[in-house]
Amino acid sequence: MRLGSALWIALAGFGAAVPFFGSTYLMGVVFQVAMWIALAQSWSMLSATTGYLSLGHAVFYGVGAYVCVLLTGIIPFEFAILAAAGSAALFAALIGLPVLRVRGPYFVILTYGLSELVRHVVMRIESALGSFGRMIFDVPAQEVLLWWMVGLAVLATLGAYAIRHSRFGAGLAAIREDEVAAQTIGVPVTRLKLLAFIASAAIPGAVGGLALLRTSYFEPAQAFDPVISFTIVTMALVGGTDSVRGPILGAMGFALLSELLWSTLPQLYMIVLGLTLIVFVLFVPRGLSGLVGRIGGAR
Amino acid sequence: MTLLDIKGVSKRFGGLMALSDVSLQVNKGEIFGLMGANGAGKTTLFSVIAGHIPPTTGEVVFDGKRLAGLSPDRICRLGLCRTFQIVRPFAGLSVAENLRVAALYGRARKLSATEAAQIVDDALDAVGLADRRHLDAGRLTLSGQKRLEIARALATGAQLVMLDEVMAGLNPTEVGTMLDTLRRLRTERDLTFVIVEHVIGALMTLSDRILVLDHGECIAFSTPEEIGRNERVAEVYFG
Amino acid sequence: MDTLLSGQLLFAALVSGSLYALVALGLNLVYGTLRLLNIAHGDLVMIGAYTAFWMFSLFAVPPLVSLVLAAALCALLGWAVYAGLFRRMLAKPDLAKRVEANSLILFYGISVILQNLTALAFSSTSRGYQYLDTVITWQGISMTGNRLLSLGVAATICFGTLLFLRFHLFGWGLRAVIERREAAQVVGVNLNRVQLLTICGGFAVAGMAGVLVSMTEQITPFMGFPFTIVAFVVIIIGGLGNIGAGILAGFCLGLVETFGIALTSPGYRSILIYGLFVGVLMVRPEGIFTKAVRS
Repeated sequence: MRLGSALWIALAGFGAAVPFFGSTYLMGVVFQVAMWIALAQSWSMLSATTGYLSLGHAVFYGVGAYVCVLLTGIIPFEFAILAAAGSAALFAALIGLPVLRVRGPYFVILTYGLSELVRHVVMRIESALGSFGRMIFDVPAQEVLLWWMVGLAVLATLGAYAIRHSRFGAGLAAIREDEVAAQTIGVPVTRLKLLAFIASAAIPGAVGGLALLRTSYFEPAQAFDPVISFTIVTMALVGGTDSVRGPILGAMGFALLSELLWSTLPQLYMIVLGLTLIVFVLFVPRGLSGLVGRIGGAR
Repeated sequence: MTLLDIKGVSKRFGGLMALSDVSLQVNKGEIFGLMGANGAGKTTLFSVIAGHIPPTTGEVVFDGKRLAGLSPDRICRLGLCRTFQIVRPFAGLSVAENLRVAALYGRARKLSATEAAQIVDDALDAVGLADRRHLDAGRLTLSGQKRLEIARALATGAQLVMLDEVMAGLNPTEVGTMLDTLRRLRTERDLTFVIVEHVIGALMTLSDRILVLDHGECIAFSTPEEIGRNERVAEVYFG
Repeated sequence: MDTLLSGQLLFAALVSGSLYALVALGLNLVYGTLRLLNIAHGDLVMIGAYTAFWMFSLFAVPPLVSLVLAAALCALLGWAVYAGLFRRMLAKPDLAKRVEANSLILFYGISVILQNLTALAFSSTSRGYQYLDTVITWQGISMTGNRLLSLGVAATICFGTLLFLRFHLFGWGLRAVIERREAAQVVGVNLNRVQLLTICGGFAVAGMAGVLVSMTEQITPFMGFPFTIVAFVVIIIGGLGNIGAGILAGFCLGLVETFGIALTSPGYRSILIYGLFVGVLMVRPEGIFTKAVRS
């Protein structure tokens, strides 16, 4: 495990050091990988721990991006990012109670529907305001954005680790296994689920803000794109939900695959993606993390 | 001293009166038995007391506190915990991890990791599951899962434990072991038990007092000897 | 106000409502018996639509004939998916335990493959053909032949299925599986066979819906997902696994949508549909048309 930790620290260090020696292209790849790690790891704080599968995490990403686009130019970008994280968390807190009463497959489609509802409402608001996409000028330097994103990936990973190994995480695991039994032995299920929901929303908000600054263009249909939600879920599940390294491996694996195929053969990439998903569900239920664990002999 | 005071509790499901005007007091340190045929209202009474369903009328007072409107987890932290007739282990977690959650969340006070570990070890020893602590709870035998239910309730630090048919499905040897375990727990840990049981012999030998429910109504409330002589009970049970 | 009361809107509502009912019927069968979140459902509509398009453009085969062809093709696909993937998944306890996550991912994979294979084979350009598109006016209502046909066929399949499930022995077995899986097996329902036939049937229904869609709308390889969503909205309103209520809900959604848009503007269509969806799920996840059953 100590070797493992050292490896992860080296990886994060490499990511942060890329601007000093890497090309713009490499920086772009590292930014993407860090972004997906941060998102998948945040998702796992709720969905891997409690088994409540969210198919709507794009909504937090989108809320973050929207808040950030409204605030840049008014306050320094650092604060805009924090506000993006805060608003996403606040949004989760507001919708959390009614949403988390719904379980199983209903929760999956409810989160998806909610995310789409917000997307269409924002699209409506923007078109009513006569805006068809907003440009942002005066964005921070690319390496600054990269450092922030790597920082978020590290933060999300540490957060997910801390949750899993805490009293909080033990309570969430009990909720995943049997909610009624958990409540009977004193686990405050409603409060814990809500806290996990809020925790898993905050970093995606900040990620949305940063991604916006990088592209310097906001368009609601893109910022709330449901493909983001699907990608998060597939990365986390293919990576493996049993440990924190799962989402990291999943994000890196998919980023690699997409770099190899996406730009040249987008349709082939999607077909390979689909086949990969099927193969993983049927033959590698513990995900990449489980594979690595078996090879390394460690848990 | 009265630990649990149930005052005129009724529960109506649509047109069905699952409990009608049930009153009883459980004393500290007592083993209190609940008898009744299927559908008599025993499990409903448990669910009302533990806060899973609200009573239609009446109230439950535990250790001087009214439980009306409290959620099951709050009630557990006050020191009252139930088990389930159909066992509900956290199947994907190890036996020890099942108990650790109970230790960490079962009481009002936050525990340190070492305190929690101590409680887990105690609870494992109390029901004889120490050698299976690393096994996934879903892989225990039925008898093992029943004991896990009890151990988990113990690990919450509850003063009063309500056991819903913990002996159903066990063979006679296992029932004997379970009886010994419960008696020992009562004396060693100063616990109070309310037990629902279909195994009437076990209930008779174990309980200090017994209440018999029939169609939601209390038809007898007395010591095991007198219950054994009660004609109405005999009628309900043996036709 | 006059337009609201005219039969024109009602006709439009019935046409789209019958189509929604039909698409949702297929999803409801698959969800009810297998508890699988089939998010590839709309892609079967797409396959049906492409079948009808090519048959019509290449061989001038009328859509009514393609109906049978599309149904057979999709049923075959259903068989392949069930026998190849889901029987395997449901047989492994550790996979079946996480059936939501696993079925979601499997169907997402299938959906992505179907869409992109189609795009690779036929390119992503949208296509369409003209069939029975002359306007007929009756009682002041203008309608095209293809819409009338679509309404008739969709309604016939919906009610035919409903009658079949009510009166044929297979329907009893199916309803038993929907309500009590384990109990159904105990009383001698062959779970495996019921599941296989239902998934084939559900897929076939979606394929037929696709044929109807192709008569009136442009088709693309990525047209399916909105149908998946609409189908989910419908069966959420009707109650998952509740076949009859689902058909009713399909027509209701058509009415709400058509009149809702007439009262506001087309820009509110998605907000209306998702709002309804989220509202129903939060307030009554067991559906509007079902009686509340609590254990």
